[in-house]
Amino acid sequence: MNCPVTKFIDSKMQKFDPIWRAENGLGGQRSRYYDKTGVAKYREWRGVHDTLVDYGAWLKNLSAMVKMVASAPIPCLKGFWEYRWMGSYLGTFMFIDRLFEGYRGLELKIAHMHMYAIVQSLTKRIAYILSHDRRLGASEEKSSKLVPIDEVLPELFMTGFPDLYPVPLQTLPEFIICDIDQHIEPYYIDVAESFGLPADVCSRCAAETGVALDDAFPIVGKAVVTTNMPCNASEATSMFQRRRIGLPDYQATLAMIHNEPAALPFSRKVMEETIAFIEEHYDTKFNWKTFFKGAKRMNEQNQIELEKWDYFKTPYSPLVGIAETLYKLYEWQSVNGADPYYNKVDRKVIKIMRKAYKDKYEPFGGKTRHRAFLWGPSAVYYTDFPTWTQNCWGINIVLNMDSTMGHNMVNTEDPDIAMDDLTRLTEKACMRHMAVGGWDNVNSVWEWATNFNCDMVLMNDNIACKGMLGVHAMMEEQARDLGFHFIFIEHDLEDSRTVSRQDMRNCINQYMSVVLNEKPLDPTIVEFDDSAAY
Amino acid sequence: MKDLKHLIFFENLLQDAQNELVTQAVNDGKIALGYNCYYIPEVLLNLPGCFSTRLRAPRCESTDVATYYMTSRTCPYVRSILERAIEGGYNYLGALFGAENCAAMERMEEHFFLLNPVKNDHFFVTQIDPPMKGDKTNLEYYEGQLKLKVVDQLAKRYGIDVSDAAMREAIDKFNELCDVITEIGNFRKLPNPPITGYEFHVIQLVSEVCPHELILPYLKETLAEIKKRKPEPEFPFRARVVVAGSEIDDPEFTKLLETCGAMVVADRYCFGSFPSRERIEIQDGETAFDAICRHYLHWNQCARFMDGMKIDQRHDEVKRLVDEFHADGVVYENMKFCEFWSYEKVLASHILTEEMGVPCCTIEKEYALGSIGQLRTRFQAFVESLEIKKINS
Repeated sequence: MNCPVTKFIDSKMQKFDPIWRAENGLGGQRSRYYDKTGVAKYREWRGVHDTLVDYGAWLKNLSAMVKMVASAPIPCLKGFWEYRWMGSYLGTFMFIDRLFEGYRGLELKIAHMHMYAIVQSLTKRIAYILSHDRRLGASEEKSSKLVPIDEVLPELFMTGFPDLYPVPLQTLPEFIICDIDQHIEPYYIDVAESFGLPADVCSRCAAETGVALDDAFPIVGKAVVTTNMPCNASEATSMFQRRRIGLPDYQATLAMIHNEPAALPFSRKVMEETIAFIEEHYDTKFNWKTFFKGAKRMNEQNQIELEKWDYFKTPYSPLVGIAETLYKLYEWQSVNGADPYYNKVDRKVIKIMRKAYKDKYEPFGGKTRHRAFLWGPSAVYYTDFPTWTQNCWGINIVLNMDSTMGHNMVNTEDPDIAMDDLTRLTEKACMRHMAVGGWDNVNSVWEWATNFNCDMVLMNDNIACKGMLGVHAMMEEQARDLGFHFIFIEHDLEDSRTVSRQDMRNCINQYMSVVLNEKPLDPTIVEFDDSAAY
Repeated sequence: MKDLKHLIFFENLLQDAQNELVTQAVNDGKIALGYNCYYIPEVLLNLPGCFSTRLRAPRCESTDVATYYMTSRTCPYVRSILERAIEGGYNYLGALFGAENCAAMERMEEHFFLLNPVKNDHFFVTQIDPPMKGDKTNLEYYEGQLKLKVVDQLAKRYGIDVSDAAMREAIDKFNELCDVITEIGNFRKLPNPPITGYEFHVIQLVSEVCPHELILPYLKETLAEIKKRKPEPEFPFRARVVVAGSEIDDPEFTKLLETCGAMVVADRYCFGSFPSRERIEIQDGETAFDAICRHYLHWNQCARFMDGMKIDQRHDEVKRLVDEFHADGVVYENMKFCEFWSYEKVLASHILTEEMGVPCCTIEKEYALGSIGQLRTRFQAFVESLEIKKINS
């Protein structure tokens, strides 16, 4: 921004910029907050231009929320009344604010483009699902076109059913909401544990079980598709969900060891049976034409993603940290070729990235000290963790494990080849291609980290993830042999009571200060209490 | 009751993974094939020239090294097995046939090829991708996996005869063993059985860890002995229970339960006889291999099966055992950190209690029998509740 007026204002106002304040020993990001909370006394001053960008995005998100309520006022009201998780969506703005703290320039612009894509899609989805929810009074007929699907089963195949509306079952009441509010899932975890479930199972799956037992899943559709993805506890919690939801179900149990040739024919058959199940229960036919359309969109998304990876390998990518992770996760897992809006966003973003690379634009004012690959299932209750690592220690999380999900292209002409491609893409879904399915999958992190020019691997250590715990020492030994900085970050996935956000930060703090003897970029966020924050 | 003639011999066989019968078979040139889970058909590992041995880690007192590799937050059974392997306790093995049945087990088996703890030049590990449903598609996949990773490997690496004739012979011998164990186990149906749950547990375990050919004569002799054995004048227990759940390879657990007054009349857990000692029947037009795969998929009661048919089968099977063995209740147990059985225990005990009217007690246990005090209290309370129920009815 070369406007002399804004330049002048920026120079006068920079004392309010938390980054400038941290650099000059006058405070920092945390100084804006009331103790223990996520409530800021005032918005982050980022300079005239970036503050306006940020505020404009805030207004845009607000408009999406208003549209949601306006499109289905009664169901939304009933939803707030019926479902405990619904109220947590009020924390969305606070959630977005903390995600992009310290973001400036192009990284801020892209981050908000991504975030708005999620907000507009999710708000539409919430309104649509609530207005077809039988718990809230919708008739069976009205909800009969909705298909509840386990959220970790990619929905690309559903583009072959243009008259049906896929509902990723756990996304609204369990997954996304935990991203927003760290206090919501412990309630559902307690529900499951008070029913007898041990406390040492994966807290995410315990939360899903609690949601089921608490009758907090919207009831829609005529039949449900569950899956064996991604792990043991997820498979086990499906037993509770199918029983509580009480709809006919099909379990899409694709091969776990999916890298072997023998797996594909089996998994393909499972995919075909999944499609046949929907055809039977929804009295419809799979439409290859609309599927190919969806696959084309998916292919374009994947093509752009692969180009993005080339920029991620350089220091000049303005798409960073959580802005990349959250978007990719939602786009790949929940949208999966179904929404052309995401293709538009991708096209815009890749243009910005190309230009940024040409201009040698360095995000975060070039203050990145380490490039890290984040591996293992991340703590859902601490979504802004990658933002914190950058702001506090200059650790830029270049790519997250979940972003390495299947990116093979799907044939858009031949149904036979397309089915194989669809199967491959589905098999490599969220968490599955890395955390389970054999040693090679989890061990591939070193190759990823090397290819993306990372000097550091941050290993999410979900204290209840049996698959990752089983390779603890092997990973540590590999890191030592290969010369990576390697930090285990203990967390309890969706239960912030067991391992708090500060406990997670301490894992990094200790390594950075004791092992690397580095000084924080912003001392106000090394240690602080945000236990009462959303 | 008079002590069983071979009980102490059997108990001694359970003191080491490489017991005297295993050593004898290996010295005779037989190849010892290890496995951990019912998904690997025991009968396939008993083709001519080899023998099966289900892996245990008896007298495991510390899992320090395995805990370093797998943390203290994973299944103690798998850590104990890994520890024993690192200690050199499985150097007699020619192969380990694993399965990606649960994450912890799969990771433990991976350490067998990452760390190479088994000092045997010919040793190898394979892991099948076991099915999660009982339908035809999954049966075909199961067959493919077993062929690729068990049968073909045995033929290729050790030159084992895997022909249909060899498999039929293996099935015949296997059925003979199953018939003996089943006959012994059926005594537990009697109002005053001439065998205790502990004794049966020991017998069942030796049949799983020892070479079948070598243990069978002892089992036959024991069966003959039990037929003539005089039970106690009166049924010496206060209640009869079925134990269901995850891995129990320590008969001391059964002994603990029985000292609290509950006889274990049926054992539906990993290492138990339900399933594992059902006869394999070859149907018309089937190959022996087809029959084996069908049999093992049908009888498998693992908590990882996700389809409604198999879930219902799990619960119906426990109810069948309760009815046939005249049990008063069910003890559902899970090994600490076992995710599948943690869930199944909760769901199944709810269904059994609320829908089938069978009282249940649910417990969590370590591999090496620990927390005896708490378990004893739980069992005693459960036995009392069963007694009160009887009095009230």
